Amino acid sequence: MKYIPLLLAVLLTGCFSTAPKFPDYPEGVGMNESCPDLKKLKDDPVLSDVSKTINDNYGSYWTCAVKVDTWIEWYGKQKLIYDRAVK
Amino acid sequence: MWMLSFVPDAVLEMVVNGVLIVGAISTFLTLFVINRILRWIPALAAVYPFLQLLSVVILGAGIFFKGSYATEASWRGKVAEAQERARLAEQQAHDANEELARVAASKVRYIKGRTEYITEYIDREVTKWDTKFLPGGVCEIPREFIEAHNKGAAKPDFKKK
Repeated sequence: MKYIPLLLAVLLTGCFSTAPKFPDYPEGVGMNESCPDLKKLKDDPVLSDVSKTINDNYGSYWTCAVKVDTWIEWYGKQKLIYDRAVK
Repeated sequence: MWMLSFVPDAVLEMVVNGVLIVGAISTFLTLFVINRILRWIPALAAVYPFLQLLSVVILGAGIFFKGSYATEASWRGKVAEAQERARLAEQQAHDANEELARVAASKVRYIKGRTEYITEYIDREVTKWDTKFLPGGVCEIPREFIEAHNKGAAKPDFKKK
């Protein structure tokens, strides 16, 4: 009788199995933070202020566009890698 | 079973095949050739039913273990293949990420450089026209222009829509 728990423990090892390790979810590239707000003109600006503000806003837009395009490309490539791995 | 993974495959296969062969031979001997054996070894007459039963049990166990081993080997192969594909996918994902990050950083650096270059141009050339567009002047930048610009630059309030 005293060996029954031990026997049960040995038999239960049949329930263990080796399972494959699934790949870790890949780190994202591109959109690590939100795009910044655009700059506004102050009261009574001069022409160069207007020009600089517009230039800065264009720079912000193009930087954000690069991040979004990188994110889209990242998703496409990771999906391809995932599909090849699991299918 | 995880305990089996500590035993080398060759040893495991040898034991399984050994049990199967012993079971097959003993079953054949005890069921089909028993009369000849009893003629040579009469002492077995008292125990041969037990031997027959034992042989069949060993044969059954051998068949069971052979099937289990084959299934285990098949699953081990599938697990190994899946793990290799997972490792390869992780490596490819890492390499793709590195390349994307490098290209994105290069593009952002270019945009920053271009913005700074244009700012220098503004400081050099556009500031010459500042006096012509001062408030109160003939070419004063209208308030409506500033209003329109700022409204366009404002962050959209999606709750208001």
